[in-house]
Amino acid sequence: MEIFQHILNALQFGSFYALIALGYTLVYGVLRLINFAHGDIFMVGAYIAYFVAVALLGMDTGMSPGLALAITVPVTMVLTALVGVTLERTMYRPLRRKGADRLYVVITALMAGLILENGNLALLGASRKRFPDLLEKSIWTFGSVSVTNLKVIVIVAAIAVFLLLQFIVTRTKIGMAMRGISYDKFAIPLMGIPLDTIIVFTFILGSGMAGLAGILFAMSYPILEPYMGALIGWKAFIAAVVGGIGDIRGAIVGGFLLGFIEIGVVAVFPSTLRDLFAFSILLVILWLKPTGLFGVAKTTKI
Amino acid sequence: MNTLLEVKNLKVRYGNIEALHGISFDVKEGEIVTLIGANGAGKSTTLLSICRLPPPEAPRVIEGDILYKGQSILGLPPHKLVSDLNMALVPEGRRIFGNLTVEENLKIATYARKDGHEAINRDYDRVFGLFPRLAERRKQRSESLSGGEQQMLALGRALMSKCDFIMLDEPSMGLAPLLMYDMFRTLKQLNQEGLTILLIEQNANLALRFAHRGYVLDTGEIVAHGSSEQLLADPEVKKAYLGG
Repeated sequence: MEIFQHILNALQFGSFYALIALGYTLVYGVLRLINFAHGDIFMVGAYIAYFVAVALLGMDTGMSPGLALAITVPVTMVLTALVGVTLERTMYRPLRRKGADRLYVVITALMAGLILENGNLALLGASRKRFPDLLEKSIWTFGSVSVTNLKVIVIVAAIAVFLLLQFIVTRTKIGMAMRGISYDKFAIPLMGIPLDTIIVFTFILGSGMAGLAGILFAMSYPILEPYMGALIGWKAFIAAVVGGIGDIRGAIVGGFLLGFIEIGVVAVFPSTLRDLFAFSILLVILWLKPTGLFGVAKTTKI
Repeated sequence: MNTLLEVKNLKVRYGNIEALHGISFDVKEGEIVTLIGANGAGKSTTLLSICRLPPPEAPRVIEGDILYKGQSILGLPPHKLVSDLNMALVPEGRRIFGNLTVEENLKIATYARKDGHEAINRDYDRVFGLFPRLAERRKQRSESLSGGEQQMLALGRALMSKCDFIMLDEPSMGLAPLLMYDMFRTLKQLNQEGLTILLIEQNANLALRFAHRGYVLDTGEIVAHGSSEQLLADPEVKKAYLGG
């Protein structure tokens, strides 16, 4: 029975990686840009959720935590999306306009992430924040396996987001434009399509999902600190690459794969070996298939 | 005939290199006009200056003006030329979206159209009527098409964007002669149905037999212009571009 417990935990961890990996992969798929600030956008999302939730619960309306959660989720997603779009407008777009080489845009993304981390540190100080309880916890036990409602919500959210993004990219007109940009962005204006609008839309999707991941993560592990996005961001990025960066299916598969590898390692070995083993296994996968599991060499992405 | 496109004293730079030294030409409604000249004469630069694709491809206009239907288009973002002014460019190398299917390549060009399903469906029928091969391959990824089919798709895609003025950059490139003649026959038919065409060609002979008028471009300057008959008979043009 222990195995089922492990599987559930792996799915939950994998969900966080997948939700964040989707943002990396969307932006990469469209712009060929590794948005290294994305992990920190996730962190900002968690903090936005914290402030929204605290404000809602602090008002003298006697608002129930459930209602506060229902408001916090969309507000956080919108505000986090706004943060992503702001980065695109103020940092990436000006470089793109000048025809800057991709290296400089990637470095800019790296710096943008550091600015978010250290900006947070400067504004809020080093003290950690305790995320309020928004969900009355219920635990269902089946034999020795216990499932919390939060765990189910996290897993369902990741799968729902994946299905939604997959639908947008493969079935809608704007998704078609996104796929078109990934192949040849210079031909897009010739179709009468405003390139920047599609790029902004991509950032809205990716950052919005990072915001959602931020809330769910803060509810699961309710201690927030400015560097919380760094390691999980790296891991999600690696998950996206192993899955085949640029492909939405790759992000979800890579995310869950990393979740399973980590939980699998911890089930057998001491937990200090977790990251060492996990990354070594991912390295072997890339060694065997350098384009990632869903990656096709160079041709189609997203 | 009304003047559709008017390029006035256009000077253009790539970085610090001046690529066009003040060229002027015009295209009137219903015409086929060709710009001919050797490799590097500035033909593609001229088209890119009109469309101003995103950097790094866009040359910088430093002097002069480009008017379309009497209105300056230099301040317009490139996508508006297509969506609002019904201009179209079939770029060099076709630049179809290889990762999309044939059908999606046509559909993506209708992105900004606001004239409704019926008009769009009529245009699908028209494109598939002109190029039955595309209809046969509509579900196929377009990078699997042959060069000739890709050129058909590039032209079909431009037509789906609902254009009344089309600019073609070397449409004959890489095509077998038979396919090339087919393509030009189709273009002639489209012109007779009202499409105005600006054609850029290295194959000057072919271009002048097809167009009404022509301009000869040499290292960023227009060195000759006139009706196709005049240019075909011009001894200088003959010597330099028509193989004697």
